[in-house]
Parts: sequence; structure tokens; C-alpha cells
Amino acid sequence: MTAKRINLSILFSHQTVLFFLLVCLVVLFGLIEPVFFKPRVLFDVLAIVGEVGIMALGMTFIISTGGVDLGVGYELQVSAIVFGLTYTTTQNTVLAIVLAMLTGTVAGAFNGLVISRTRIPPLVTTLATMYLYRGISMIIAGTDTFAGFPEGFLKISTIELFGFLPIQSVYFVTLFLIFDYLYRRGSLGRNLKAMGFNENAVNFSGVNTRRIKFAIYTLTGFLCALAALIYLGRISAAKTSIGDNLNFEVITAVLLGGTSIMGGVGSMRGTFIGVLIIGVLKKGFTLLNFSGNIYNFTLGLILILSLIVFAVLEEKEKSAGRVAAAAPGAVG
Amino acid sequence: MSATTVKKRFKPTRETVLALIVLAFLLFLSGTTNFASRSGLYSFMLDVSPTIVAAIGVGMVIFTGNIDISLGTMSGFVAYTAGALVKAGAPMIVFVPAAILVGVFLAGLNGFITVKFKVPSIVVTLAMNMVHVGFYATFLPQSGWIENLGPRFTWFGRGRFFDVIPYTFVVAIVIAVFFVFVMKYSRFGKTLYAVGGDAQAAVYSGIDPDKTVMKVFLLEGFLIGISALLRAMTRNEVMPSVFIGRELFFISAALVGGISIAGGSGKIVGAVFGAMFVYLLTITMIYFGFQDYYQFALQGVIILMAVYITVTDFGRFNRLLRRITGRPPVHS
Repeated sequence: MTAKRINLSILFSHQTVLFFLLVCLVVLFGLIEPVFFKPRVLFDVLAIVGEVGIMALGMTFIISTGGVDLGVGYELQVSAIVFGLTYTTTQNTVLAIVLAMLTGTVAGAFNGLVISRTRIPPLVTTLATMYLYRGISMIIAGTDTFAGFPEGFLKISTIELFGFLPIQSVYFVTLFLIFDYLYRRGSLGRNLKAMGFNENAVNFSGVNTRRIKFAIYTLTGFLCALAALIYLGRISAAKTSIGDNLNFEVITAVLLGGTSIMGGVGSMRGTFIGVLIIGVLKKGFTLLNFSGNIYNFTLGLILILSLIVFAVLEEKEKSAGRVAAAAPGAVG
Repeated sequence: MSATTVKKRFKPTRETVLALIVLAFLLFLSGTTNFASRSGLYSFMLDVSPTIVAAIGVGMVIFTGNIDISLGTMSGFVAYTAGALVKAGAPMIVFVPAAILVGVFLAGLNGFITVKFKVPSIVVTLAMNMVHVGFYATFLPQSGWIENLGPRFTWFGRGRFFDVIPYTFVVAIVIAVFFVFVMKYSRFGKTLYAVGGDAQAAVYSGIDPDKTVMKVFLLEGFLIGISALLRAMTRNEVMPSVFIGRELFFISAALVGGISIAGGSGKIVGAVFGAMFVYLLTITMIYFGFQDYYQFALQGVIILMAVYITVTDFGRFNRLLRRITGRPPVHS
């Protein structure tokens, strides 16, 4: 009897519902526009979510601790601009890649430094640095567009494995598997979620929460830089308009995936499905010739709706989690 | 400490320091540019008025430990409503209250979702920001652009006393004075400090924090309505998208003014001087030929610095200062 009840609860778990939603979306778009069912188009969804997905992995870590990084899109932007500037001035791809990775990592590390060393809340820190990074990339680039990157570089995003699988999906899935493992198996994931519940308690239990916070924001900055390179490999033009939407897309994907904005509850697999949903919407809207504004509008509504729905669900989950947390090994 | 000793000893508060900085800026600009001319002063007062009113509005939201980053896009809706009604032939007695009501409604929606579902206001308003922008472009005719509104719309915004003081500045100052008294002496003002300082303690003293937060969002909507009108009515046309990004200046002004993002401390006077400071910094940079986009980076840095000063305990620094100046400890 109890076993049956547990089975039912799995059936209605977060990820199952999300997965169902994803399938529904694909079917819906497929019915309106049959071309959507073509494998080519479905694989393209995997290609266009590469950068959102990679950033969302780091963001899931951050949001689990009760923090947030509002400016990932601009961390990507500034890395992309630095890449573009370095390449066009020196024609040296390796140097450009190194500098771009460094830029993103430093941007993330600065967030991490401020958040872990001062008492400024992550929301305000990243709100401020978001404008800072955006300003920096605008100062560097102005209205210029850096383009004309070498063929060799573009390969990092244009190769298709076995002739159909976009290489971005390989990066994304590999990183996802690593992050999912870290999140569910290691002590890191447990600490992150515990920090979301009560950071002081984690600190007093001998975990250096400052170092963890610094590390996850830096890691996210690094992932943003990685995403910037993948993005440039696909689009091949660095300008200051890229990344504007990515802030929203990444946060929406993570929150849609069932990670609580209050921290303490999170799911890397949920994020994975959330990212795919974003990708399907993006591709579907493009195919239906809807403007980017309708997409933004829908994305905003989805973010609000997922906040509301999960806020209701989460209250229960969290109180259950608190009880379970008393027993060792039961968290998550 | 008795009242007389307070009077004798000059104790530099944040607000007085900020006022001195603003004064220094004014003197500096008067000395180096044609700022002190009639037109310079007029445009200063005209441009700073909407920021003052909006900074008071968002400042009060920040008092309660919340934030609203959809201020800019909300202003766009207010301006559009006013413009559309004027075009339809509505008199001022109709379009001004109607436009303000739109602001109250939108901010109320933010407040409602924040309070009802216990989700952080920053994420709610981030999503709303996106919904608003998508809405302009998707549903409003010509993305909300209305031109040739005529003197029926602009007479108030362009009107001035003694040929130098704009009507809008008088409105802003009246509102500022009113809210200084509200925050200082009214029951509502004390409630705000209580909720922002410690919501739990507020509950025990018989205050309903949810109700207070809701009220404060409605009030913010009212002030944003006025702020948007003060800006829109100086121009012959309205375009909602010009307000996108204005929230940066409003939030920056409130935070520079010493309103604590952690909630529970700060003064309305601070927000007023903060608005002037932010504006003066902007025009100083323009006078010295910096591109517009340096603003983003600078405002980001200013927000970080302002919040850092507000949240950091400068105990050690103050003790050092006291040892140097030989003053006895001051209770603040």
C-alpha cells in the first residue's frame, strides 16, 4: 500500500511533470508546424540551448545556496567582446580564447569576492556588477561588431558528431553529467543546499561557506566564458546586443527546473529539462515567425508562473525536507 | 545624551555628507561650465524631479527589504496611458489619475505576487520587466509611440515659475517634504522601519508585514505614476521604450541616499540628495565628453560602493578616527 503511494508520488514529481510539459510543447509545435518533428530541427534545439544550458548548471549551484547571479548574460557578453577585440587586433586565436576565459572567470570571481567578503546581498551585488560588466563591454566595443573569426575556431560549435549531433549538446550533456554527479553524490551538493536553508549552521559545522560561495560564483563566471566561446562559434559576431536575454533565460530555466529561489531545494535534472523547454520555445517561436518580443513576453510569464506554482509546492517540500534533514543522508 | 549636547556637536550624518557632495558638485559645475545660467538650472531641476519622486517610491520599498526593478518599464505604461488618453481627447483631470492608477495597478501586482506567494520581489519584478517590454512591442500599436500630443499634454511639464523653476520640480519637492514627515512622524512610517528592521519583531508588536509590504508597493506605484508623468509631460510625444533602464538611476539614487538594502534604515532626505547626486554625476560626465555608456559601468560601481558603506560596520575605522580627533564615543 505504501509502496504504491510512493510510486504515485514519483509519477507526479517535479521532473516528471516538467518532462510531460516538454513533450507537450514539442507535440504542440509539431502539430502547428509539422517541420518541427524533423530530427534536424529537434537536434537544432540542442544546438541553440548550448550556452544557456552551460550557464544554467552553475546558476543551479548558486540558486541552491539562496543566492542569484542576475548578470550571467553580461558576463558572457564581456567575455565575447574581449575575445572579439583580441582576435581582431592580434589575429591570435589561442590568446583570444585565453583572455576571454580569463575575463569571464575574473568577472565571476569579483562577484564571488564581494558576496563572500562583504555583507552585500548577492541580489544587489550582481545587480550592480551586471551594469558594470555591461558598461565595460560597451566601453570596449561601442557600436562595433567583431566578426570574421577563423574557420578553425568556428569548429568548436559547428561540428556535428556522426553527421547529426551538434557538438554543443555533447559539451552540455557532459558538463551536466559532471554537475549532476557533484550535486547529488558529493558533499558539495549537500553543503550547497544546506547553505540555502541556514548558512550559519553550515558554517558552524565546520564548512568554509565563504570559500564555497567564492568558488561557485567564480565557476559560474568560468562557465559564462565557456558559453561565450560556444556562442561565438555559432553566431560568429561579437557585439554588445548579445547576452541581453540570456540573464532571463538562464534564471527562468533554473527556476522552471524546480530549484527554489529561496535556496535549499534544487535539482540539476530539473534544470536540464528546464533548459530544453526554453530551447523548444525558442526554436518553436522562430519557426512560427513570432518576434523576439513575444518570446520575451512568454518567458516572463513562464518565470512568474513557475515562481508561483513552485512557491506553493515548495512550502510542503521544504517542510518535509526539514524533517528529513534531521536524519543523516536524507537531504535531497 | 541630552538634546543640547547633540546640538553643540556637529555629527556628520550620511545625509549631510551627501548634501555637501551635491553642493560641491553644483559649485564645481557652476565654475567650470555654463551650469549656473538660467537654462542650466532650469534643465537641472526639470530632469532631476522624476528621479526624486521615483527614488522616494523605490526607497520606501527598499525600506521593507524588498526591491522593484520593473520601475522603468512600469513608467513606460504610465506614459503610454496618459498619451493615449490625451490623443482620445481626455482632459487633464481624467488622464492624470488614470495614468497614475495604471502605475498603482502594476506595482500592486508586483506586491501581490511577492506577498501572496512569498517569492523574492527581485525575481518577480525581473520577470515583470520582461513581460512589460514584450507587451509594449507585441500589443501596443506602433510599440506605444504617440506623437503630436500638443500643449494640452505639455503645458504642465514645460511650465515654470519666474521663468526658472519648473512646475515639476515644485511637485517633486512637495512630495519629498510630505514623505519626510510621513516617514518621521506617522504611524505608517514607523511601521515601515519596523517591518524592514525585523519582520518577526514587527509581527509580535501587532504589525502585519504582508499588509505593510502590499501598501508600500501600492504607494510606490502611485509615486512611479507621478514620476513618469513628470518626465513624459515635458515632451510632445510618448514612447514607452525610452523608460527602459531608468530603474538603474532610481535604485542607485535610493541606495546612494543611504537607504539600506537589508531594510529598516535610511531617510527620505537621503533619497532626494541621492537623486541629485546621481543626476549631477551624469551631467558632469556628459559635460566632460564621456560617452553615454560609461554611465552603466559607473552606476554599477556606485551602487556597490554605496551599499558597501551602508552595510559595513565601520567600528574599527570609527575608533581610529576618534583616537585621532580625540572625541569621546558617539552613540548613533
